[in-house]
Amino acid sequence: MTVPVLELSAIRAGYGRIDVLHGIDIALHAGDVFALLGPNGAGKSTTLAVACGAIVPSSGSLFLCGRDVTGCATDAVARAGVCLIPEGRGIFPNLTVGENLRMATFTGARYRDVVDRAFTQFPRLGERRRQTAGTLSGGEQQMLAMARALATDPAVLLIDELSMGLAPIIVEELYEHVRSIAASGLSILIVEQFAHEILGIADRAGIMLHGRLMHSGPPSSIADELAGAYLGGER
Amino acid sequence: MSLLSVDEVAVQFGGLLAVDGASLSVEAGAVTGLIGPNGAGKTTLFNVITGLQAPTRGRVLLGGADITRKRPYRRARLGIARTFQRLEAFGSLTARDNVRVALEMRRRWATASYDPVAVADSLLERVGIAGVAGTQVNSLPTGTARLVELARALATEPKVLLLDEPSSGLDEAETDALGALVRQLAAQGLGVLLVEHDMPLVMDTCSYINVLDFGRVIAEGTPAQIQADPSVQRAYLGTARSAP
Amino acid sequence: MTRRWTALLSAANALVLAVGIGGLVVHGVDGLSVILALVLAVPLAIMGLARARGRSVTSPPWSDAMAWSTMAVFALALCVPVYGGARSVRTSVGTVYYLHLPALLLMVALALPFATVFIASLRDLFVIRQPWLTLFVVAVTSALALSIGKAAWAGVPFTWENVLTMLAVALPFAGIYAMSASGLVVVYTTTGIFNFAQGAIGMLMAYVDWELVVNHGMPQWAAAPIVVLVVAPLFGIALDRAIMRHLQGQSLVVQLMVTIGLMFAFIALANMIWSQTDAHSLPHLFEGKGFHIQDVLLTWHRFITIVLAVLLAIGLRILLFRTRIGIAMRAVVDNRGLASLAGARSARLSSFAWALGCALAALAGILLAPETADMSTGGALTLLIITAFAAAVVGRLRSLPMTYLGALVLALVMQFSQTFLSFSDRWTNVIDVFPTIMLFVVLLLLPRAQLEFSRLNMVRRTERISSVRDTALGMTIVFGVMVFVSAFLSQTNLSRFAVGMCTAIVALSLVPLTGWAGQVSLAPLAFAGIGAVAYGRLDGAQSDVRGLVIATAACLIIGAYVSARMLMLRASTTALIAVLAGAFGFVAYLNAGSAVLAGVICVPVGAMLAFPAMRLQGLYLALATMAFASVVESLFFTQPFAVGVGELDVSRMKLFGFQFASERSFLLLVTAVFGLCAVGVVALRRSAFGRRLIALRDSEAASVTVGVNILETKLIVFSLSAGIAGFAGAFLAQEYGQLSAAKNFEMLSGLPIVLALVIGGTGYVSGALFAGMFGLGAILIQQTWHISLWKSLIYLAPGLAALGIIQNPQGAVHAIGEGMAWLLPWRHDAKREREELVEATSEQEVGSLGLEHAFTDADVLLIDRELGITNDVARAVS
Repeated sequence: MTVPVLELSAIRAGYGRIDVLHGIDIALHAGDVFALLGPNGAGKSTTLAVACGAIVPSSGSLFLCGRDVTGCATDAVARAGVCLIPEGRGIFPNLTVGENLRMATFTGARYRDVVDRAFTQFPRLGERRRQTAGTLSGGEQQMLAMARALATDPAVLLIDELSMGLAPIIVEELYEHVRSIAASGLSILIVEQFAHEILGIADRAGIMLHGRLMHSGPPSSIADELAGAYLGGER
Repeated sequence: MSLLSVDEVAVQFGGLLAVDGASLSVEAGAVTGLIGPNGAGKTTLFNVITGLQAPTRGRVLLGGADITRKRPYRRARLGIARTFQRLEAFGSLTARDNVRVALEMRRRWATASYDPVAVADSLLERVGIAGVAGTQVNSLPTGTARLVELARALATEPKVLLLDEPSSGLDEAETDALGALVRQLAAQGLGVLLVEHDMPLVMDTCSYINVLDFGRVIAEGTPAQIQADPSVQRAYLGTARSAP
Repeated sequence: MTRRWTALLSAANALVLAVGIGGLVVHGVDGLSVILALVLAVPLAIMGLARARGRSVTSPPWSDAMAWSTMAVFALALCVPVYGGARSVRTSVGTVYYLHLPALLLMVALALPFATVFIASLRDLFVIRQPWLTLFVVAVTSALALSIGKAAWAGVPFTWENVLTMLAVALPFAGIYAMSASGLVVVYTTTGIFNFAQGAIGMLMAYVDWELVVNHGMPQWAAAPIVVLVVAPLFGIALDRAIMRHLQGQSLVVQLMVTIGLMFAFIALANMIWSQTDAHSLPHLFEGKGFHIQDVLLTWHRFITIVLAVLLAIGLRILLFRTRIGIAMRAVVDNRGLASLAGARSARLSSFAWALGCALAALAGILLAPETADMSTGGALTLLIITAFAAAVVGRLRSLPMTYLGALVLALVMQFSQTFLSFSDRWTNVIDVFPTIMLFVVLLLLPRAQLEFSRLNMVRRTERISSVRDTALGMTIVFGVMVFVSAFLSQTNLSRFAVGMCTAIVALSLVPLTGWAGQVSLAPLAFAGIGAVAYGRLDGAQSDVRGLVIATAACLIIGAYVSARMLMLRASTTALIAVLAGAFGFVAYLNAGSAVLAGVICVPVGAMLAFPAMRLQGLYLALATMAFASVVESLFFTQPFAVGVGELDVSRMKLFGFQFASERSFLLLVTAVFGLCAVGVVALRRSAFGRRLIALRDSEAASVTVGVNILETKLIVFSLSAGIAGFAGAFLAQEYGQLSAAKNFEMLSGLPIVLALVIGGTGYVSGALFAGMFGLGAILIQQTWHISLWKSLIYLAPGLAALGIIQNPQGAVHAIGEGMAWLLPWRHDAKREREELVEATSEQEVGSLGLEHAFTDADVLLIDRELGITNDVARAVS
């Protein structure tokens, strides 16, 4: 088997002295889509924060293509090809759409390529090129966040709750885009609450509870566990 | 008449409607649940009730009296207490002093029969953390610090207690103990509004549940009704093609 | 609604502008003045229009519309004097009143920006949209401006020539202010650090330029670009690498104190290199030559300054909106974390911002130096920072156009006042202090701050609260040492020590306020000054029965209030304390009441400062207190009821018939007073009120939800702090023996006290004692060392000490003390803690191995290559 593109190994991490994650192991291979599901406060977002270098784990290691990059700065990890679309809108609200895309050129891409690619993929953004990003609708903002992330030509895409605060129909549209991105061979680690949408796209999925990865495997094996984890009944 | 009622409250941040005409009520002596997916507006609603956030429209009534325009500390003195989703304990004070701050706001004068330190300690014991009374809260684990917040809220001698995800950071045994404590508090006549993601806890504890999605109450009913409600499933799991 | 209102205003203003210009043309005034009016008004009008179109989602369209209308009125006011001026040549003295009208109109125009911000803040507070309120505010502001104008009118005819003369000075100064302020804003938005040393950096660079031009004979056209484009940016980058980068994430008071310390250090550095016994002056560009506009000389220097400021505005605009690094700097303002996720190197951005900030500081410094006669290191160049603050705050430390507007308004108002108004006697300093007044007013008008939630990642050291008994013991030891030491001191040294102890009490006043409640105040010495004056004034009135009643009543009330509100005692105990306090007031009044009363008088003043504290937070509050201190310094002491013109003699107090006339007895008295205050402060920390203050600092949001009234609590702590500082001031006054308007209580001298307290530890009595000794050291150096080089140490020492804070932001003295406490036999807890600490650190070393290694570019390349390969593989597969 090849070396995973992104690997979290026995990660314990948290905020200050408080550990939120208690030993997380995730290996993401090239072209994989891994869905991380689970209720709030389970530690999903923290896992992504560790994966993009924003939080240095208190123990365990982060590997990129087999290289230990634990403790590296966020911008260094970003330039190495790991891109996070954070929870809430991952955009700069007071910058225009064009300027937001300009921010994607730090990883070496040319501005023209970035814009071309973004506007062919999301034509709606092209129409609003000079508009301030904060005045876009929620769905458009998420599209901009995705366009900005993809423009950097990342090897790994980390997506945190794409659906948050959006109407189901828009979420569906966004996931169509995710599906096409996944088809292009990008490795994606995605955190979600709208489980059924994502399970159709993911190659593998895991359920997080209380800072631990409880179940993980192909989506079909996960689906049955889900309702229990979310709406309860048994522990 | 309900102990606490929220009447058609809406909160707008810029172009975003965080809460969109939500109404619910909390009865004395019962635990009311408030659940919903991330970003549904639960914490914003809590902030409106406690006065940390002014609503764009709508009213908040306590015991029938309109408190929408009252300042937060007044509401606290009228009997609304809360805990926070993101920890807001007084980190550089000890657990005991956290509780004492709240106690000292309630009663200005000491009497022969009233020893604040003893009362604080008994409150800490009640939430099950008497052992850490002298420890600075910054050095406590999250779950324990949340219980300090709970004890602090109880120290204000509230009529209504708002709990924002009290179980996160607690293990299973502690969560069970918390559930028992919440039920016991309600049995003593307190009205409890519980925001929680741990569904077993919600289902066991609450007698009535409101489900919030996109700032609206999309469903309400008893735990059994809520678990069976397809719109709730949809809110949590997305379009349920293969709903179990 | 607001959009329509904006459009309406815009239309009205366009009309006004058109009428104004039309009037100019009809009356056949020469083309040059028309062009000047247009040059001034049009760009700002365009700016207003552009912003009113709603490009920014956060700024209220109101403020833009108002800014624009202001400019239009301003342009009109400029047009009218040309019209009137043309007539005044022909008419008699009777037209003078008529000629005032345009001048007054101009004043109204200048006052309107205040109204703008005020309305904007009201709107944020109450969501008010009624136009009548706008009219009301505009009317009140105008009336105020008009009445000041009438009262202080100097009688200079308001002719076109005079206006032009005023503009020829005001515009270049506006440019200089704007340059300095832009540097401040760029650095603050990008790195989050508010640079108090901005002015001092400009001063230092002006001296470098002087060295090149005057000492080495280099022409200015070569020297200035070298300094601005090479030396200053390098200096900025070095500053960022060496110091500023390590300041990110530190508490505000630490950040502020480091840059304040640096300001002093730069002054010292300049003093050491360029001896201040010689006069320095930088020549004007083109030796003061220039060209005439209607008989008014505009020197090339000033012309170039204006042109540079305009070019700079354009350049900054292009930089921030057209270049990637500029866009990244704006992106950082929006969302720092996301910018770094996007791969923007925050380290590089911050270096760039500092380089730019220093270059702007240098430019402002070099252009200002020839304009002011005073090139002294601590003078106008360094104090440019205060003007820059005021201008930057108008732009809320974010918006550069508004910063430029602020600079323009400031310069115009100052030059207008200098040309057409005259202030004398008690108001002599009004013009000098105008930037601070404007700073204060604008700050008060800012929208109310949100309630603060706790900052999770702020991990504090375990705080051990000293017991009252320990403190009492410690203070007894201090007193004992002082009894012993004082026996060997000369008269002058005794009085120096006494000043040191008084300073310690001043510093102690900040312990509850800054150390516990987390409110940064830079004004402790101002309160001491008020206390000193109060003591001086009360001193002669001891037999007054009214005073006796007041003193007793005040003590009674305070005693009852303190015991009820803060100590949470039983009712009977409270009554007893109140009675005891009253008795103390009685006795104290008979003997030494003035000192107590001096403290009491400061209480309401401090309470006044608590109201801005309710609205403002953090940096804004610190700036407001600084402005307050500056206003007290310049306007309070000159009032006849304070010190006035002459000097105020102060005599030593009497206690139970004993007068502390000898220096030694007075030193011991002050030491004892410090000890008592210290014990009181520690007792307060252990009281309910102390806990409430800490709670407030840790989380305001949680405090209100348990029922803490924030206003009341802040009111009490500000009053208390002011009271202690005023009390200390009473003793300082006795030590000095004589008070005059100009000395001893300057805003700048107060800063080292705060700095020293931060070094010692803001939350601790020991920190205050350290601050006192620090002050004593400074006095000793200043007065006894005769080598001028070493005199710089009084400035350099705070600067160097500030660097030390980075290592130990919690305060050194207490930390060292606690670190050594395990040596004391009775401190078992300290011993246990130390053992745990040793264990923990040895454990940590194993655990943290390999966690902090540097991620080199080679690593990035390697990973990039590896990832590239896997990507290709992945694509091939799909």
